[in-house]
Amino acid sequence: MDYGTPLKTSGEMVSITINGQALEVAAGNSIMAAALMHGIDIPKLCATDNLDAYGSCRVCLVEVDGMRGYPASCTTLVSAGMVIRTESEALIRLRKGMLQLYLSDFPAGDIPDGWSEFHRTLQQVGVTDHPYSVSKTHLDAPVDESNPYFLFDPAKCIVCNRCVRACEEIQGTFALTIDGRGFDSKVVAGQDQGFFESNCVSCGACVQTCPTQALVEKSLFPEGYQRG
Amino acid sequence: MVNPIKPDRSVVTTCAYCGVGCGFKAETHQGRVVRMIPWKESKANHGHSCIKGRFAFDYYQHPDRVRTPLIREDINQPWREVGWEEALGFAAKRFRSIQQRHGARSIGAISSSRCTNEEIFLVQKLARAVFGNNNIDNCARICHSPTQFGLSATVGWGAASQNFDSIMQADVIMVVGANPTEGHPVFGSQLKRRVRQGAKLIVIDPRRTETVRSAHVEAAVHLGLRPGTNVAVLNSISHVIVREKLFNEAFIRERCEWHEFEHWCDLVGSDRYAPEVIGPEAGLNPADIRRAARIYASGPKSAIYYGLGVTEHSQGSTGVMCLGNLSLACGMLGREGVGVNPLRGQGNVQGGSCLGSWPHVFSGYRFVTDDDVRHSFENDWGVTLDPEPGLRLPNMFDAALTGHFRGMYIMGEDPVQSDPNQSHIIEAMRAMECVVIQDLFLNETARYAHVFLPGSSSLEKDGTFTSAERRVNRVRKVVEPIAGLQDWEIVVKLMNAMGYACNYDHAGQILDEIARLSPAYRGISFELIDRIGSVQWPCDESAPEGTEVLHRERFPRANGRGTFMLTEYVATRERTSDTYPLLLTTGRILSQYNVGTQTRRTANSQWHAEDVLEISADDAHTRGIRNGDRVWLSSRYGATELTVQISERVRAGLVYTTFHHAETRVNVVTSDLSDWATNCPEYKVTAVEVSLHKPAIAQIKREEEATA
Repeated sequence: MDYGTPLKTSGEMVSITINGQALEVAAGNSIMAAALMHGIDIPKLCATDNLDAYGSCRVCLVEVDGMRGYPASCTTLVSAGMVIRTESEALIRLRKGMLQLYLSDFPAGDIPDGWSEFHRTLQQVGVTDHPYSVSKTHLDAPVDESNPYFLFDPAKCIVCNRCVRACEEIQGTFALTIDGRGFDSKVVAGQDQGFFESNCVSCGACVQTCPTQALVEKSLFPEGYQRG
Repeated sequence: MVNPIKPDRSVVTTCAYCGVGCGFKAETHQGRVVRMIPWKESKANHGHSCIKGRFAFDYYQHPDRVRTPLIREDINQPWREVGWEEALGFAAKRFRSIQQRHGARSIGAISSSRCTNEEIFLVQKLARAVFGNNNIDNCARICHSPTQFGLSATVGWGAASQNFDSIMQADVIMVVGANPTEGHPVFGSQLKRRVRQGAKLIVIDPRRTETVRSAHVEAAVHLGLRPGTNVAVLNSISHVIVREKLFNEAFIRERCEWHEFEHWCDLVGSDRYAPEVIGPEAGLNPADIRRAARIYASGPKSAIYYGLGVTEHSQGSTGVMCLGNLSLACGMLGREGVGVNPLRGQGNVQGGSCLGSWPHVFSGYRFVTDDDVRHSFENDWGVTLDPEPGLRLPNMFDAALTGHFRGMYIMGEDPVQSDPNQSHIIEAMRAMECVVIQDLFLNETARYAHVFLPGSSSLEKDGTFTSAERRVNRVRKVVEPIAGLQDWEIVVKLMNAMGYACNYDHAGQILDEIARLSPAYRGISFELIDRIGSVQWPCDESAPEGTEVLHRERFPRANGRGTFMLTEYVATRERTSDTYPLLLTTGRILSQYNVGTQTRRTANSQWHAEDVLEISADDAHTRGIRNGDRVWLSSRYGATELTVQISERVRAGLVYTTFHHAETRVNVVTSDLSDWATNCPEYKVTAVEVSLHKPAIAQIKREEEATA
């Protein structure tokens, strides 16, 4: 079970309403974690409960009475009296649109039969393809196979920052960063040296947390890696 | 195929490497292990991992694995492949023949901290109940035996007082002679996280290790002491605490004997331990010693973590006692966030220590000379046991050279490579009539063996490991044993072949026997671990799900109180001289594990293909040595050749290397001095010289002849 944000189990309890259901949760929890504690699984990509909330993927959007727009449920904490909806036509449209954008820059051959966290979220929201004709993608970015144990395929990277955050918050090596801005932004190890030459210590925290299997164990490709 | 293969099965088990004891889900695809996923529910690693546990598992199916039992009449013959019955019958017959000719005490056994608790327990049962003597020792002799002695003497139990998570509440973290980011990486990450949250870090280590300074982590004080001066420096820290009255009087009065404390104050409070006296001796700025003392004493929660940099000294036990004294004096025991914690190198050092794999004690550190304890084992095992303590590991080798000791069963150990004074051990091995080795690979020691029993890796067997935080974790069989038998089954068959009837349906029944005969394990069973994930001993009626923090109300000593041991500093006999002006100290690196039996058979060697000698730019320059040169490292004991790396981690006068590669033969160079109390070798201090040209030493020649 992944609650998306670190759980707070003690402290003051607050009353909230999610999808019409009145709930009591410990203050300090995100809407995402509070919802899942009560069995409501909000789709997510960049959130995981062993890292602090980050709010970059925009898939976990919800509606909260009195708040403008569609706040991300991972970065919004519960407060007393909050009335939350996790499903609505608008939310479904927004989530689908977001995931279609991610798919527009993802290797088409790797969409069917995948079993990563990203694939599970696609199934959860019901997205299998995208309507865009794309001229510029990351599909020709070189795969970093320098590390003997895992590889990094930038074509599958959605730049959610989870690997960078895991390297910092969990492992404490600070070997990874996001280099560049906008379309050019990419995960780099060390001074863009490739994983093996960098100061990466191969603890595996980035591989463990990557939701798309852009960072993935080589042992899962007995015939060698091939992009779909 | 473009998408990754999806594992079809997953088994929760425990990492085979260091004493952190990380939980992993071993995932298989069509019967082969394809990846190890850190287990999120594990209380040791909470879903984190390091390069060894996460990735370096492929050794289990390496072509070098021995798949059939091997025997030979003498060690100059080639090995002959035989069946299990023949190999075990051969070993049993030879052992019994030696005993008939030379007495019951002429053979012995050694187990390893890589074995499960169940195997360790069975091997000591083999020695005691079947060999009929107490010649049983284990490799903790050469790493943490001083921990058992030093901590038992002061706080009552030779074990970590805390669980690992306790560090997340510490305000001050003092790391002594340990480098957790390399040796215990998952705990190292936790330590760094706590320091980033604001805890103050004190590091006592001759080298400027990564623990001293890394991204967003920097020690408040680094005492880069001269190797061999631990006790002097720790006494000096105590001196400041006593003289500046920084101790916790209420705690001492309530939990210790005040007069013992006063006695201790007389020693450490004396002028000879003033920082201004000890500083120059240890190569430290006296102000830094004072600062470290004040930070530690002011806490409010200060925790000590230490490693082999404390124990592997001629005053190793004394060093451990210093740490016990210090924590008692400042009241840093018995609650969250404090404590004294040994970092154990191998996965089951704690289990090896507490399950009677010693020549003088049964499980739970109860003496073999104690009639009541011995009778409890005699009743359970149905045999009469020897009341005399047996031989320690180094004494077994000594006795082999005098003809008093002629047969040895060794499980999961490679003493020829890992123990001090290699040439002496080789001579001893050659002198024995029957050496039986149970291991995964034909290691260095197997060159001198008569029987080789192919063992099972931790992925191929059931059992438990006890980690450095006293946590008993379950090892579960993921794949079938490559040679057909789990290690515990082999030991049982050897016992049977030697005429002792015993039988277990599964490894859990051995743990039940351990629980029946060992107070701290009384409540522990496979069922309990399966239900709650893991359990920290002591576990009994009063703590049915184990104990996270020790010493909350009393110390496990006869009077329930902590004791201040007198820890006079006695400098090691190993001194620098004009011929050997540098001090060598040894340690580990992240990607390799001990003598490398496992990790050198994985891609980890791409990071660390050889042991290198770290030397300061000053010392290199005066010897005409450049980075990457091949150099000779020589000591009074021997010499070996290494590649040099000029490093800022060591200062002038100090050199450092690791001991992961057999070719390096670092233990040819290390001294044969050892801890005064426990014989733990002094690996951390050797006077050496480094030169570009091969030194002319008769010793080297003898060495080469011995191994040719």
